[in-house]
Amino acid sequence: MIQATDLRKRYGPVQALDGVSFSVAPGEVYGLLGPNGAGKTTCLSLMVGALGVDSGSVHIGDRGDPRIPAVRRGIGYAPQALALYDDLTGQENANFFGRLYGLAGSTLRERTGAVLELVGLTDRRADRVSAYSGGMKRRLNLACALVHDPPVLLLDEPTVGVDPQSRNLIFDRIESLKRDGRTVIYTTHYMEEAQRLCDRIAIVDHGRMLAEGDLESLLAAHGGRSVVRAVYETAPPADLNLPGLVENGELRFESDQPLADVARLVDSGHRFRTLRIDRPDLETVFLNLTGRTLRDT
Amino acid sequence: MSAVWAVAMKDLLILVRDRFGLFWVAVFPLLMALFFGSIFGSSGSGARGLRIGFIGTGDSTSVAKFRAALDKADAVTLDDMPLDSARSLVARGKKTAFVHFIDTASGGMGFFGPGKPAIEIGIDPARKTEAGYLEGLVNQAYFSLVADQMARPNDMRSMIQEQLGQLDSTTIESDPERERVGRLLENLDVFLASVDTAQAQGDSTGMGAQSPFAQPNIKVEQITVAQAAPKSSWEITFPQSLQWALIGVAAAFAVGLVVERRNGTLLRLRLAPISRFQILAGKGLACFIAAVSASALLLGIGILVFGVRVTSWPGLLLSVACAAYCFVGLMMFISVLGRTEQAVAGAGWAILLVMSMTGGGMVPLFMMPSWMFKLGSISAVKWSVLAMEGAIWRGFSPADMMLPLGVLVGIGTAGLAVGTFILARSD
Repeated sequence: MIQATDLRKRYGPVQALDGVSFSVAPGEVYGLLGPNGAGKTTCLSLMVGALGVDSGSVHIGDRGDPRIPAVRRGIGYAPQALALYDDLTGQENANFFGRLYGLAGSTLRERTGAVLELVGLTDRRADRVSAYSGGMKRRLNLACALVHDPPVLLLDEPTVGVDPQSRNLIFDRIESLKRDGRTVIYTTHYMEEAQRLCDRIAIVDHGRMLAEGDLESLLAAHGGRSVVRAVYETAPPADLNLPGLVENGELRFESDQPLADVARLVDSGHRFRTLRIDRPDLETVFLNLTGRTLRDT
Repeated sequence: MSAVWAVAMKDLLILVRDRFGLFWVAVFPLLMALFFGSIFGSSGSGARGLRIGFIGTGDSTSVAKFRAALDKADAVTLDDMPLDSARSLVARGKKTAFVHFIDTASGGMGFFGPGKPAIEIGIDPARKTEAGYLEGLVNQAYFSLVADQMARPNDMRSMIQEQLGQLDSTTIESDPERERVGRLLENLDVFLASVDTAQAQGDSTGMGAQSPFAQPNIKVEQITVAQAAPKSSWEITFPQSLQWALIGVAAAFAVGLVVERRNGTLLRLRLAPISRFQILAGKGLACFIAAVSASALLLGIGILVFGVRVTSWPGLLLSVACAAYCFVGLMMFISVLGRTEQAVAGAGWAILLVMSMTGGGMVPLFMMPSWMFKLGSISAVKWSVLAMEGAIWRGFSPADMMLPLGVLVGIGTAGLAVGTFILARSD
C-alpha cells in the first residue's frame, strides 16, 4: 500500500532525513516515534508530496507518486499546525476542504455531517473556529482530513496540546478508522500513543530509523529486562539463591521472567509487603537505542 | 473551475467576516469621497477670492458709491477698517491688499481739474498677479462712477459750474493751465446744455440711449467652454477615493495570502488535488470580485446619491475591470515581499501610499504641478483615476481610453507574473 525507500532530505547543513525506508500494509497503523526534530514531519511531508525528496522514492497505492492529483485524492493529511480558517465555522471549513476534493451537493453534506459527528463537533458546527478550544480545533483538523473519505491517512502529531478528553476521543476515532480498514501513518513523540494505536512502530532520531517492528519485538530486541522491586514484610529468610541484592528491606533484581521468579521466591518462604515490576516500554527502548529519554530531547 | 470558485468564495467570506478589513475596503473610501468632495465643493461656491481692507476718506457719498461699485466684483470681499489696521493686516498676510479711497472735494466728485479723488492700493510686491487684477477692478469701479455721472448731463453741468467757481481758489499755479481747464469746463458745459436739450425733446428719462456718455450696451453671451470639466466636485472625489477601495482590497488580500502561508492552510490547499494555478486563480478571482464590488458600491452611491454623471458606461465598466485586474496583480506582487504579515502589510501600504500620493489618490490630478503629474505615470493609481475620469467627465474617446486601460492591464500582468514566479520559488 505505502512504500518509502531510502528517503533523504537535507535543509542546508542539517540532514533532516537520512536513508529512511519502510512499508505499510493496507489497514495497518504505522507509527513514527521520535523526539521533536527527529525528522517525522519531514518524512510525512515527503510522503504527501509537500516536499520533494533529495533521493529515494515514495509509492502510495497503485499509482505511486503522491504529487499526482489522483494519488492525492486518496490521501487525508492532518498537519501538525492547525490548518483551519478561524473566521469560518466548523461546517464551512469541512465544506471547503470537501469541495477541493471534488465533493458537492448531497454527497458533500453527508460527508461533512459524518465527519463532524465522528469528531464530536455536530453541536458546534455553526460556531466560528475562533471560538473553539484547542482540543476542538484538533478534532476539526482531523475531520477536514477525513471529509473526502480517503483510504490513506497521514496524521502528524494529532494530539499535540489537547485536553485528555479530546485526546481520548481522537484515540477512539483512530481505532475506529483502523477497524474500517484505513491505512494510517501516525507520528508522535508520546510513547503511550504509539503503544496503544500502532501495529508497528519505527523509532526515529536525527533523521535515521533506529529500529522498527511491532511492540513486542521492539521490547524484546531493545527493551532489556524487567526490574522487580519487592519490600519484605518481615526480615528476609536466609537464602543463598536470591536473584538480587537486599538493601533496607527491599529486594531488587532484573529478570526476563519476573512473574515466574517472584512466584518461586514466594514458594520458598519469602513474604513481601509490596511488589513492583517495571516492564520495559518504548521509553526504555528509546533510551537503550540513543542513551537519552524521549522527554530529555 | 469549481475548485477555483471554492477558493474565491472562501476568501470573500473571510473578507466579509473581517469587519476591520471591510471598513478599509468599503467605508473608508466613501468617507474620503465625502470629505474631499465637501472641501472642494465649498471652495468652489462659497469662498471669495481677494480679501481686501477698504478705507474711505472724505465725502461719504462718493466713498459709498465707489465702495458699492468695487464690491460688485465677485472676486473681492471688502472689509471696512482704519488705514493702520489695513496696513498691519496686509503686512501680516491676513489681507491680500487694502484700497484707500480719498475724496476731499465737497458736493460730488470732480473728475476734471482740482479735487478729483485719489486712490491708494497697498499690496505685497510679490503678489504681481493679484496687484494687476485689483488695479483693474479699482479702475473699473472708478470709471463706472464717471460714466454714471456723465450719463446725467444736468447733474454734470451743476458740478461743472461748481468747479468753475472753485478755479480761482485752486492750487493750480500756472495761469495757462488754469485757463485751459477753465476753457475745457466751459466748452463741456455748452456741449452738455445741447445734449440736455436734445434729450428733453426725445427722451423723458434724461438717461436715454442717445446720451453720448451713456455706457455701452454690453451683452454677455454665456458659451460653455468645449473643454471637458467636472460638473461637481463629487465627479473628482469619487474616482479618486475609489482608489482607496482598490488599495484596501489589494492590501487585505496580500496579507491574507501571507496568513494562509503562516497558518499552514496554504500547504493544505497545495496538498489537495488541485494545481497551484487553480489556487492562485481562486485568490485572484476573489480579489477581483472584491475590487469590482467595492468600486460598484462607491460609484453607485456617487451616481445615485451625489449626482455623478457618467459620459461613457462601457468606458466606466472597462475602467473598473482593468483597474481591478491591475490591483489583483499588485496584490500578488506585494504578497511575496515578505514572509510575515507585518512585513507584507508594511511594504504593501508603503508602495500603495506612494502610488496614491503620486497618482492622484490624495491630490486631484488636475491640481498637480506638471512634474508631479509626469512622475505619477509610474503609478497605477494615476492611470486608474484617469481612466475613470475619462469615462465620467473627461469625455475620453475609445482611442483616448486605450492608453490608461493598456497601462493598467500591463501593470496587472507584470505583478501577476512576478508574484506568481516568486511564490512558486519560495514554495
